[in-house]
Amino acid sequence: MRNTLATKLLFELSQPGRRGARLPVCDVPVRPVDALLPAAAVADEPPPLPELAEPDVVRHFSNLSTLNMSVDTHFYPLGSCTMKYNPKRNERMASLPGMVALHPYQPEETLQGMLQLLYELQQMLGEISGLPGVSLQPAAGAHGELTALMVAAAHFKELGEIRTKVLTPDSAHGTNPASASMAGFQTVTVKSTSAGLVDMADLRAKLDDDVAVFMITNPNTLGIFDDQVAEIADLVHKQGGLIYLDGANMNAIMGITRPGDFGADMMHFNPHKTFSGPHGGGGPGAGPICVSAKLEPYLPTPVVGMCEDRYTLEWDRPKSIGRVRSFFGNVGVLVRAYCYILTHGPDGLRRVSENAVLNANYLLSRVKHILPVPQGERCMHEFVASASRLKKEKSVTAMHLAKRLLDYGYHAPTVYFPLTVPEAMMIEPTETESKETLDAFAETLFRITDEPAELLHDAPHSTTISRPDEVRAARNPVLKWTSA
Amino acid sequence: MPYTFNTDEEQSEMLGAIGAASLDDLFACIPPSLRLDRPLELPVALSEIELAQHMSRLAGINVPAGERSCFLGGGSYDHFVPAVVDAIAGRGEFFTSYTPYQPEVSQGNLQATFEYQTLICQLTGMDVSNASLYDGGSAAVEAVLLCMSVTKRPRKVVTAASVHPEYRKIIETYFSQLDAELVTVGAADGTVSLEALAAAVDDETACVLLQHPNFFGSLEDVEAIAKIAHDRGALLAMSVDPISLGLLKRPGELGADVVVAEGQALGTPMQYGGPYLGIMACREKFVRRLPGRIAGQTVDRRDRRCWVLTLQTREQHIRRDKSTSNICTNQGLFALRAAIYLAALGPQGLRETADLCLQKSHYAIDQITAAERFELAFAAPTFKEFVIRDRSGQVDDVLSTALDAGILAGVPLGRWYPELADCLLIAVTEKRTRREIDALADCFTRATSAASVARMSG
Amino acid sequence: MAPNDVNPEELLYAETHEWVRMVEEDGQKFATIGISAFAVEQLTDLVFMELPAVGTQVEAQTEFGEVESVKAVSPLYSPVSGEIVAVNENVPNDLDLLGHEPYGAGWLIKIKVSDESGLAKLLDYAAYLKQCAEAG
Repeated sequence: MRNTLATKLLFELSQPGRRGARLPVCDVPVRPVDALLPAAAVADEPPPLPELAEPDVVRHFSNLSTLNMSVDTHFYPLGSCTMKYNPKRNERMASLPGMVALHPYQPEETLQGMLQLLYELQQMLGEISGLPGVSLQPAAGAHGELTALMVAAAHFKELGEIRTKVLTPDSAHGTNPASASMAGFQTVTVKSTSAGLVDMADLRAKLDDDVAVFMITNPNTLGIFDDQVAEIADLVHKQGGLIYLDGANMNAIMGITRPGDFGADMMHFNPHKTFSGPHGGGGPGAGPICVSAKLEPYLPTPVVGMCEDRYTLEWDRPKSIGRVRSFFGNVGVLVRAYCYILTHGPDGLRRVSENAVLNANYLLSRVKHILPVPQGERCMHEFVASASRLKKEKSVTAMHLAKRLLDYGYHAPTVYFPLTVPEAMMIEPTETESKETLDAFAETLFRITDEPAELLHDAPHSTTISRPDEVRAARNPVLKWTSA
Repeated sequence: MPYTFNTDEEQSEMLGAIGAASLDDLFACIPPSLRLDRPLELPVALSEIELAQHMSRLAGINVPAGERSCFLGGGSYDHFVPAVVDAIAGRGEFFTSYTPYQPEVSQGNLQATFEYQTLICQLTGMDVSNASLYDGGSAAVEAVLLCMSVTKRPRKVVTAASVHPEYRKIIETYFSQLDAELVTVGAADGTVSLEALAAAVDDETACVLLQHPNFFGSLEDVEAIAKIAHDRGALLAMSVDPISLGLLKRPGELGADVVVAEGQALGTPMQYGGPYLGIMACREKFVRRLPGRIAGQTVDRRDRRCWVLTLQTREQHIRRDKSTSNICTNQGLFALRAAIYLAALGPQGLRETADLCLQKSHYAIDQITAAERFELAFAAPTFKEFVIRDRSGQVDDVLSTALDAGILAGVPLGRWYPELADCLLIAVTEKRTRREIDALADCFTRATSAASVARMSG
Repeated sequence: MAPNDVNPEELLYAETHEWVRMVEEDGQKFATIGISAFAVEQLTDLVFMELPAVGTQVEAQTEFGEVESVKAVSPLYSPVSGEIVAVNENVPNDLDLLGHEPYGAGWLIKIKVSDESGLAKLLDYAAYLKQCAEAG
């Protein structure tokens, strides 16, 4: 079935003289290139790109696409990534010429529809988060973290306070400490309890006047809502610090509780997760941030404002940190998020969260007998099971289970994250899966755990390739094709 | 609620299996005092038909530059996107997949990424490329951070006023947290002042960040700038227009150590500024400091060629606060679009595209400057973009005349360069026809007559 | 410089798994540093090592380099302060040396010692093995 000819590398398919695009004949008087540009700047030859006909290109990439698992084709319970259904209507809306053919430097009077959309999205995100100051500029969640930390730094600078530390729980996403470091802060890790919550004693011990921000993910990366969050916020606020909420897990709490109401001063959304943007094989995302009113003046410039029924870009923001991305940000992703929110309305968003939590708890209840969940009987929108018992009893690890699931047509859960759970398997079914799918997945897991360990050790068996040699890839990196 | 499945019966069955009394019971972990006790204040839900009507109305209020005569540039361009790009990149198997954490079921994405990296190396003449970053601006930041790291000169970077002002602003924002200084040398003649540059670059300078063709569309003397940087042990980081590389010498041949680019021109629509594609490539010896994801070739257990994400220890999920960057995703979809675009165009197609931009933009220069009121602001040679000065200082008047004629004539430069408040940045892509260019020039002429009428009657 | 028949029992060990061999030449103390067989085994599948240049000054208990496996990075710490006078470039080029001869041809750096007070914190072979057994 597999078309191995078409999936050779583009460069191996290349034939000298073949071409896939024809351009119009030049309709203005043509002058020699050397009359227009200095000879020293001009290349003798165009770059050595492959030479292909259009059908070559289509068949090549279409065949490549069939080697991927995707949300459109497979259950994709990749914890923390919220691989929910990507509505086709949003694609159509985002592709309207009046949305997609806009240049970032068009005059505002030609952009009133777009600016209205972005203005309304700012309001919507402010309402869902309970934090009224919104910047749509950051290009991804991690970029939002960094931007918010810069906002915090500007705030403390204005107060004349020197605060050098950012606290993160040990269960935090790796982006948290990396962002803190890029924003010039030193990261201090706060321990979690065995129940997966912030260790309050450790927090108290590490909280001092040097702490600028406590970055918390809530629900956290274990899929647990940390009910101490208000107390944590109180403690941090009393020391003059700020609370940052990593909004990666907003899919669990929309319309149920709001970060601004449980003590957060700043947060980011991952609209590509929570509001269903297609993940595109690893991007694009977006990372809009929401902040409390007192931090609003520091947001990046511009933000969208409204003045007498006219929408405008606000440039005059003297306290702003400046800019973190060119133009307005990842607008295409934001347009899809806007469509998603409008499609659901207030009740619909709440029911999205309810169903995401229902599905996750149902799946947890089905699999906990074979894959214990160290942090309890209940979860929010995802849970972290552990394969430690299987590892001990039959030398089957989280990795082996993950690889064997691929053979049965399921994308694997996130494995070995968070770092605080041994043999972690982080499972997030999302609300856009049926009970039948969850049942079938659970039964597949049971079946796999009954299979001989050797079969699992070598899995997957039915995929296009077997397990790749990652050591070889990293030891002797081959990062591009070169002619033999 | 169009995308969920659970019926009322299934819901009770599932709650029973969980041992929960109600949906509300599942949220018992959230203290009542923290719960929202009202519905969110959001617009009511829209059906697909209503959504389509609402969005069409909003879209209809906009004037889509790409559907008019668009002469706007400054880092985002109205280049043609071949149908194959949309057709292939729109396939759900690409569109709705994610980062290839499981290489056995992600060979399509991984191979496409490996091909993208190869194409970027072919285009730029560099040794290695990553799998992409957010956009040209954040790629420029990452380029200077890389240079600061590898040269162990963390305090100073030199750039020029001819580099995209937003890119410089982003770097300044990042630097404000890092105790590092961005020194900007002037470009009064539209290109970097080499004397000022030589004076600014010292033994503490990590790199010179250059744009070529620059923000004004002009070509810089890259080799001279490279020499100034290298003589002081600094690196050359260069931001380029990928389309220009159909004609211009590749950065690798001009002495660049790190190359970044806004890749939007390679098959991505303008979509009001994003999402776009941050291209980043560098010399081999810096590969372990290159941020972002990288695909590498290896073999599987049966010795078949395959691809994986590699050199992952650079990244945040392993190295956390010591990683090369906090970047977690790439722009996979737009890297794919760029790969399809470059594969479809091939070397000749790219050269012809670049040549059309060159020819048509120079034709536009001639037509516009035929009116005495308008002149080229800078003498340096240009590729597809150029700066026109209105001697009468009324660029708004030109822009509104043109807009009335359905033409987006240019980007006024006063926002970033007060001294260029009488100037417009005009870009001409391969899509613009002679008729459109003539109509543009006609707007300039009409603005001229209107101005003289105004002068006479005033 | 580092004979193949080095007896691991004669070396000192840091809790962070570096070994040290002290020698004295013309009244000047030199420390040769490597990583233990136990550490090499635990790290598995090493892919990359970064070592400093000759002439670099290192402080005791600070990082002088890094060793990477596919999915982990481990810093290398110097137990003593001083100037690096030799670097074994063979190891980054052939990481298998660490597996075959961690105490011999797999040595990493040699330091001209300026402060050896850090040596007091090191373990002898028996104590180190005990630590490893407890950890494993």
